Amino acid sequence: MINVTVVEDYFRYYVSGLSIMTLYSAAIFIGFDIYEEADHGVFEYLLSLPVSRRQLVLGRSIGGGLRSFIYVGPLIGVSLYVIGAINPLNFLIALFALFLFSFGVSGMSITIAVMIKSSDRFDILMGVLDALIVRLSTAMYPLAIVQSANPLYGGVASFNPITFAADLFRWGTGLETITTLDNPLIPLLGVIAFFAVFTFVGVIIYERRIEGGGWQ
Amino acid sequence: MKAILHILEHDLRNFFRYKWWLVGLISMNLADLFIMAIVYNRMISSEVAKQITSYFNFFAPGLTVTGLFASAFMIGREINMERRREIHHYMLSLPMTRLELAIGRVLSGGLRGMIYMSPLLFTCFVFLGFPTVAQLLIILIVLFFLAIGISGLSIAIAVSTSSLEKFITARGLVYYTLFFCSSVFYPLSLIQDLGRDGKFPMILVNLAEINPLSNGSDMIRSFLLGTPTFSPNMILSVLIFSTIFTLVAAFAYIEIIERT
Repeated sequence: MINVTVVEDYFRYYVSGLSIMTLYSAAIFIGFDIYEEADHGVFEYLLSLPVSRRQLVLGRSIGGGLRSFIYVGPLIGVSLYVIGAINPLNFLIALFALFLFSFGVSGMSITIAVMIKSSDRFDILMGVLDALIVRLSTAMYPLAIVQSANPLYGGVASFNPITFAADLFRWGTGLETITTLDNPLIPLLGVIAFFAVFTFVGVIIYERRIEGGGWQ
Repeated sequence: MKAILHILEHDLRNFFRYKWWLVGLISMNLADLFIMAIVYNRMISSEVAKQITSYFNFFAPGLTVTGLFASAFMIGREINMERRREIHHYMLSLPMTRLELAIGRVLSGGLRGMIYMSPLLFTCFVFLGFPTVAQLLIILIVLFFLAIGISGLSIAIAVSTSSLEKFITARGLVYYTLFFCSSVFYPLSLIQDLGRDGKFPMILVNLAEINPLSNGSDMIRSFLLGTPTFSPNMILSVLIFSTIFTLVAAFAYIEIIERT
């Protein structure tokens, strides 16, 4: 169905993108836990623990990211099997970037969850965000095709953390001929920036929102 | 009949309580059409392009059926929630027969599917062209039967599963099997070719051929795009699916809900 002159091996291209899409969706789930905890009074318990708010947010972001990695681990394993040979050093760098990416997505989810305060609205917003952020990325199609379809879409896709993560994963697994990734440093810096912004913004918003039962 | 109308009113009121959720869902569907389908237009091979002319045009009817499926399936989530929170005792105490209650729930699920699907179908008409009055009537009637069948399937799963997690897992399984083994995303001829080449299990090819989602999407395509050729089997497949699952849902709803 897919033109081989556009994507040489779409099956392998899609499998690698699917891993990133699933990783993103799994990391988002930490936000739903925030509402569950608020409903069951666990929030108060967490706030009473002898840890700073900063450590709490950072710990939750990293925990959410690690958890999503455990969920998606088997799928990543299958992807690697399907894709075949990998470049070990590149793959380790890509894996490190994927960890940062999942921590960043967890941080983003926590930030939005404490800002919105309604699980229904959060559910809607996450659905819409998921639809836009995944479709306007290179998870399912190469950047050049997105740009040729619509320059606006291409512009958004160029700065999308899912694009960074998907491109790095393909680069790490030796699919760079399909992605035509010139410089892996750019997506790596993009993922680091995404992680840093949402972790630190998350800390600030979390601190402001939760004191005195402000999340309720 | 009056009792069924009361159930319809109850479920439609509930449906509109989730208006923002519906707006979110529609925007997700439109993102599929106006982003994903437009980009895929640039990627399809020339052989497929000869069959479907443009992926956007091909996908728009499939998306309508996707929307219909998602919204008609919502009734199951509500019924599962009622069962877990024991609201079904209240429903069973209402002055109506069990059969009226069950039929009312199946019909309301179907109606909700139709309401949600309407803007997507209209979008499809705007971009692909409007059908004749007779074709429009056939489309609406067949899609209504399809929605009832999906609603019945969803209710049967909802009353057979004791927790939300099990319901969501079953829904995911049904969703992925029915959608990816259908012509919603890719032409049926492509699946058949893969089956003939031995690259796709024949049982899945057969499933794709009788799948009501394939037949619903292809029927709209046959009227609006001219391909594939219209066949009465498309309607027959949807009617059989709808009859089976309406009966299964009514039976399961009456039997299982009384036992718990």
